[in-house]
Amino acid sequence: MTRMSTGLKRSLAVALASVSMFSVTAASAAEILVWCWDPNFNGATMEQAFARYQAEHPDDTIRVEIFDKAAMEQKLQTQLASGTTEGLPDIVLIEDYRAQKYLLSFPGAFEPLTDQIDYSAFAPYKVAVGTVDGQSYSMPFDSGVTGYFYRSDLLEAAGYTAADLEDITWDRLIEIGVDIKEKTGETLLPIDPNDAGWLRIMMQSAGTWYFDEAGNLTIADNPAIKASLETYQRLMNAGITKPVAGWTEYTGSFTSGDTMSTFTGVWMTATIKANPDQSGQWGVAPIPRLDGVEGSVNASNLGGSSWYVLSSAPQKDLAIDFLKTVWGSDVDFYQEILVNQGALGSLLAAREGEAYQASDEFFGGQPVWQNFSTWLGEIPAVNYGIFTEEADTAVVAQLPALVNGGNVDEIISAINAQVSQQIQ
Amino acid sequence: MPALVLLGIFMIYPILWSLWMSFQVGRGMAFSFGGLTNIIRLTQDPVFLRALSNTLIFLAIQVPIMLVLALLFASALNDSKLWGRGFFRTAIFLPCVTSLVAYSVIFKSMFAGDGIINQVLLGLHIVSTPIPWLADPFWAKFVVVAAITWRWTGYNMIFYLAAMQNIDRSIYEAARIDGVPAWARFWYITVPMLKPVILFTAVISTIGTLQLFDEPNLLTQGGPSDSTLTLSMYIYNLSFRFMPSFGYAATVSYVIVVLVAILSYIQFLVARDRRA
Repeated sequence: MTRMSTGLKRSLAVALASVSMFSVTAASAAEILVWCWDPNFNGATMEQAFARYQAEHPDDTIRVEIFDKAAMEQKLQTQLASGTTEGLPDIVLIEDYRAQKYLLSFPGAFEPLTDQIDYSAFAPYKVAVGTVDGQSYSMPFDSGVTGYFYRSDLLEAAGYTAADLEDITWDRLIEIGVDIKEKTGETLLPIDPNDAGWLRIMMQSAGTWYFDEAGNLTIADNPAIKASLETYQRLMNAGITKPVAGWTEYTGSFTSGDTMSTFTGVWMTATIKANPDQSGQWGVAPIPRLDGVEGSVNASNLGGSSWYVLSSAPQKDLAIDFLKTVWGSDVDFYQEILVNQGALGSLLAAREGEAYQASDEFFGGQPVWQNFSTWLGEIPAVNYGIFTEEADTAVVAQLPALVNGGNVDEIISAINAQVSQQIQ
Repeated sequence: MPALVLLGIFMIYPILWSLWMSFQVGRGMAFSFGGLTNIIRLTQDPVFLRALSNTLIFLAIQVPIMLVLALLFASALNDSKLWGRGFFRTAIFLPCVTSLVAYSVIFKSMFAGDGIINQVLLGLHIVSTPIPWLADPFWAKFVVVAAITWRWTGYNMIFYLAAMQNIDRSIYEAARIDGVPAWARFWYITVPMLKPVILFTAVISTIGTLQLFDEPNLLTQGGPSDSTLTLSMYIYNLSFRFMPSFGYAATVSYVIVVLVAILSYIQFLVARDRRA
């Protein structure tokens, strides 16, 4: 009887202790929920950022939910429109092109961080993207600084060197591509007729966009947009591209060696480096500039994104503190994600770090990060406005006509008509 | 009475609300009454006109092909002497209970640039360069039509099979004794006897095609160049991809309502005329 009761007491004590332990953890531990779209890139960097934060906050955890990018954007928009905040994450990744649209169409849905984050520490063009009426909402993340990624081994086989790609124009590149095709039969570029990304690259390299600073439509009578469309037409008709459908086919095309290069944002580095057997066979050059367009430079932007905190987030304060501590000031963290994910953040101080100075064997020993940082500083700032998605759709609708040799002036007026109709 | 309340909450209220919405203009959650603005916008909207014509093209091509195929399959599988007809019936019916996403992924990979379809065509020397199935406006439409046909033919076939089994065998026997050839038995006995069911499947398929969303969204995202954009996808884009424009999206959805009403009415008229 005594033994029984001792046993009972002991187990009761253990049970009580564990209950109290559990309630203590439950009280202080919290979980931050994050939505983003790339397990190898932004998802992985977020996990690493939290691992650093966790050293100081051992009880807190993070849950990163990965979606298809378009699906995530539409899920976010649907949920914000429905007015119910349940199920929304604490932190969400938003592509720069779409930031203004979300901030303006769902006022109050995102938490202003102006008082929390020192925005002067970040690349100004990134801060502008997440700012509405003087309030900044974003934790600026990756830059979409563009480069021309190419297979250096295939280029050399055709008798060209990296120097032949420095500071050239698009027309010079087309000449090179045609020559390579004749000599070796290699196809220069994969191209997705459903994606206007390259036109956006060309446009921004000339400091222009579908909209001007005030948000007015600038498609008609814009020499840079006309030159971009004409250049795209020449590129498509030169016989040096391979049509692909969708992201998987597109990335598969150049990582498999089916095509030998592509124009894209620095964030593609992780995907390209996912094939370790191609180490040493790649190079990165600056993108070409537009021929005959004043102000066009060999630098541009494609994509890029930032983190936003939802006003309704259950762990709002923790989420802000976490972003501020790691993303807002931890220079070493930026070295880490640069090396591991090829993520070029927009914290300016991070550029002085060690990893940014290093050369990369995968890219034949080129100082790729330094190069990207240099190009980053040369990107002309433009206003993406709130209707980039609509304008893009209008451009994509005209791409087949453009490729089939359509009259560029007529195509421009068709695009202009569609966009002005859509943005009313 | 509870049924009426439920009907009111879940049917009548949303219908009236969406009708009211269709006269609102504005961005995101801030809208105001716009009168006929949205209807005028419809007539000037090139994307809407493209979506409308794509939807009608899908309707005009896909529904007849599917219904004729279903009728032929049903008639073949109704033959009691056919070996393994249980297996064939199941095989043809199976696609419409298959997971939509799974089959779209498979279709997408089959019709990829270096997918199995191109490899077979190249291997048999039917084509000399791979067909850009999903990257060309014409072929993308073709793939969408093929996908819907594959998925829904069996569904319609089941209706026809059920109806055929209700036709009295003695009619066929009499016809056979009178020396009526097989095609004439099919055309002059089976088809007229199935008329109510054919009308039913035609109406159902018309409504389904006018609301077409899944296949183009998963296979082509409406592209290339809006060539497979349907009205439903356009509504979705207006609400959830573009700067949200819920009022205008509601207007476009009422276009579908009107089209369904008109086309169903025409089909009923046609069927009634023939019977008279």
